[in-house]
Order: sequence, then structure tokens, then C-alpha cells
Amino acid sequence: MNEALQGNNFYFEKAASVQPDPINPKLRTMEVIDTDFHFTPGWPIIRDYLTEPFKSRIFHYPATGLEYNPEPANEKPGVGQDTHGIAQTGADVLKVLDQFAVDTVILNPGYNRPQSIFNEPVLAAISSAHNDYLIDKVFPVSDRIRANMMVCHRDPHMAAAEIRRVGHHKQFAGVFTEFSALYEQLGNAKFDPIFDAMQQHGLVLTAHSGGFFPHFSPLWNGARTWIELFGNAPIGNCMAHLAAMIVQGLFDKYPEQKILFQEGGMWWLPDFMLRMDDFYLGSGGDIALVERKLASGERYLHKVPSEYVLSNVRFSTQPITIPKNQKHFSWLLELCHAKDLFCYSSDWPHQTLDPANWVVENPASIDEDLQKAILSGNSRKLYGNRL
Amino acid sequence: MVDYLIGAVGDIPEGMGRAFQAGRRTVAVFKSKGKFFALSNRCAHRGASLCDGELSDNGTVVRCPWHNWPYDLATGEHRLDPKEKQRSFPVRVEGDRIIISI
Ligand code: FES
Repeated sequence: MNEALQGNNFYFEKAASVQPDPINPKLRTMEVIDTDFHFTPGWPIIRDYLTEPFKSRIFHYPATGLEYNPEPANEKPGVGQDTHGIAQTGADVLKVLDQFAVDTVILNPGYNRPQSIFNEPVLAAISSAHNDYLIDKVFPVSDRIRANMMVCHRDPHMAAAEIRRVGHHKQFAGVFTEFSALYEQLGNAKFDPIFDAMQQHGLVLTAHSGGFFPHFSPLWNGARTWIELFGNAPIGNCMAHLAAMIVQGLFDKYPEQKILFQEGGMWWLPDFMLRMDDFYLGSGGDIALVERKLASGERYLHKVPSEYVLSNVRFSTQPITIPKNQKHFSWLLELCHAKDLFCYSSDWPHQTLDPANWVVENPASIDEDLQKAILSGNSRKLYGNRL
Repeated sequence: MVDYLIGAVGDIPEGMGRAFQAGRRTVAVFKSKGKFFALSNRCAHRGASLCDGELSDNGTVVRCPWHNWPYDLATGEHRLDPKEKQRSFPVRVEGDRIIISI
């Protein structure tokens, strides 16, 4: 309580020194599941878990991609990855979960590692080491910890072998891949070995924005700013990957397969769904020529494109953008089917971190039911018994 | 306006912020180049504690610890868009005491 004090010529109240918790207290009374948290064990840990011949042939972490961020032009460093810390152990993870009022987390392998290792057998070996470390030392720490396994998705057969090797472990909730302008669309049939392997374990495919370092895509070679590369590029890249999944028949071949897109935005979804349906209904003829339809003998999709979004695709929420007009926010949430499609994510520890405050601090747009759906309900439905 | 005693001049280290409960308000008080500044503590963006931010731009700005928004210490205005504003409060030093008015 503030205390009234008398100064030389006046009265004043005494202000108490405090350490405010910026996390909304309501979140500590609700179940919160974080679907995107970057876990980055260092090289000494990974090296311990490498198998031969890699263990005796690799001496340093082979992460060689360039990292772009606006740090050179910022007086205060720390924009980009690892802004909020580095988690390398199960204890590190639990500390962050408690800080941000998260009950259960799905770890993603350190952000720029899969994409920045050029040598695919090396990437596959490091992926196995990462996964073995999780199984050996991280999962036993707490049942609150789940993870997407690391794979070399650029080589679908290597990725499939890794999924078959560790996919039985119940604390792996899914498989981590990246979508970008540098990679072929994940919906292309060349990735079917990955989806074949995932069917055996009912795993969710996480498609996380990535692939900026270095810039090899002609379009993004012209980018000069963080805003373009991280604010803008993922939106178009996400649409490209999702469109391929739908119209190249991924979900007709694998009707149970669920995809969680991360960091590709979502407010573009209403236009995407309408436009895909329109183009399909008027110009769907060449669907008969995609690999999966050539193999199945079918000519068309089983349903219109927008219906696959609702049945098979989910979006993690970070970095959500929130209009100041609450009515607009409600409309966006409704048009994007947030009550079924949105799964909360923080993206810890990156600079665009989204603590879950926004879910409970906009009650005019997000009622109690929608709060529960976004914070945990949709993720529970998505991951089923893997959570 | 109510005056609140924050503490002694030496309580806030140079280049740092500290949070204080002043009545119903939580206020972040910063010391930059020997001068004191007070802004509402909860960041207008997503609610981080500004008292944990770092000073930059030659000590004229506090950067929010969550997403780096730069607020002018003297006015509370975002450096890139003055419409995004933290409330700022007058601070004075009397003898050894820091006092803010709300
Ligand atoms: S919460 Fe302060 S910049 Fe986002």
C-alpha cells in the first residue's frame, strides 16, 4: 500500500518498487499449448549424439548460411533469433514455459539449422543426433515437452528413414519442415516418401517459414530489408506451398494428413480460399495431369480447394497482427475460421515473440470459447494422443 | 495531480529502468545521462514491461524488451509513429529524492 509522507513543503505518496509480470494472469488459469518454440542445443551436445562416420569427421557445427537481420542498423542489438534466450536443455525449456504461462510445448529444431546445412547426408546425421538427444535427455525431463522431429526434408527418402526410426516415440508430435521460395512446394509428389512414413504414426507435418539464408531465389535476391524478408516473403511462400498441397492431390492421397503452417500469416486466407475455388471450378482440367492423379487415374479433386483447408490445414498464430478496430479483428477471425484453424504459438526466442496476452486481452473479438480453442483446444484436436 | 516519491537518486542505476506502483499505475522510471524519465510501464503494443527495456539512440529512447519498439523517453512517443504513445509523467528531483506527478 502507498504510504503518505510529508516532504519539506508538501505531501506525497510513496511509490512501491515492483517487478511486474507482463503475462496476463488469466493465462495462468487456462491451458496454454505453444506450437512453435525453437530449441537449439549447441554443437558439443549434438556432436555427442552423432554416429560414425560423422562423429569423427565433423569438428564444428556446419551451419554456414548467412543470417540476415537489421542488427547492423540498430543501436540495440538482439533483433532476430535468440533475442529472448537460448534453450538447450529440458530445464531451460521448463523455465521459459513457466515464465510465459505455457503448459505444454512443441519444440522445433533450432531455427536456421536445417535450412543452412547444404550437405544433405550431414544434415540427416545431425537431425538424428538432435532427435536422439531429445529422446535421451529432454523428453524424460517432463511430459509438458513434445517436439517436432528434425529431418532432412530436402531428401524425402532420408527424411522418411528418420521418421520411421523415431516416429514411434510418443513425445514426437510431428515432423519439422520449412516452406520458402528456395524449396520446391511441399505439396509436390516428390515428397510422398515423407507422407508415406508419417501415415504409420499419425504425425502432423509442421511447415515453418524458412529458407532465407543466403538468398538464392531470384525474387528475394532483390530484397534489402528485414521487413521484406520476414514480414512479407513468408506470406506468398506459404500460399505457394499450400496451393500445391491442395491442387496436386496431397490430401486426396493422404486424407488424414494434417499440416500446421507456421509464420506464413493467415489473414490472406479468405481470398486464397475463394480464389482457389473459383480457378478450380473454371480451370481444373490440368489437375488430371499432376503426378498423384496420373497414378490414381482420377481427373479431379475430391472436393473444392477451400474444403481441404478446413479439413487438413491449421495455422499457428505467431506473429499475429491485430487491427485496432475490434470489429475488424472479429471479422478477420471469423473469415479465417479461427475457431477451428488457429493454434497458439509463441516463436520463443525470436524477436517476433508472441506471448499469449493478446488471446485474452481482446474479449470484444475473442470470447471465452474462442480463447480456449486458440490456446489449447485446436492443438489438442490436431495432435490427438500425441499431446 | 498526485506526487509520488519514487526513492533516492541512487536507487536507479544510470542507463537502467525500474518499475514502481504509484496508486493504480505501474510506472517505469529510467535514468539516462543523469536525468530521470517516467513512462507507463505496460507497452502499448502487447504489454511487455518497459522497465526491462534497454536505452538506445544516445540515451533518448527505451526499446521494448519484447519487440523492440523505440519510445522517446521524454515524450513517450514511438520514434517511427508518434500516434503509438506511452503515457509519460513529469519527474523532478528534490534534494536526493525522485518525485513523479500523476
Ligand atoms: S510488447 Fe512492446 S514492442 Fe511489443
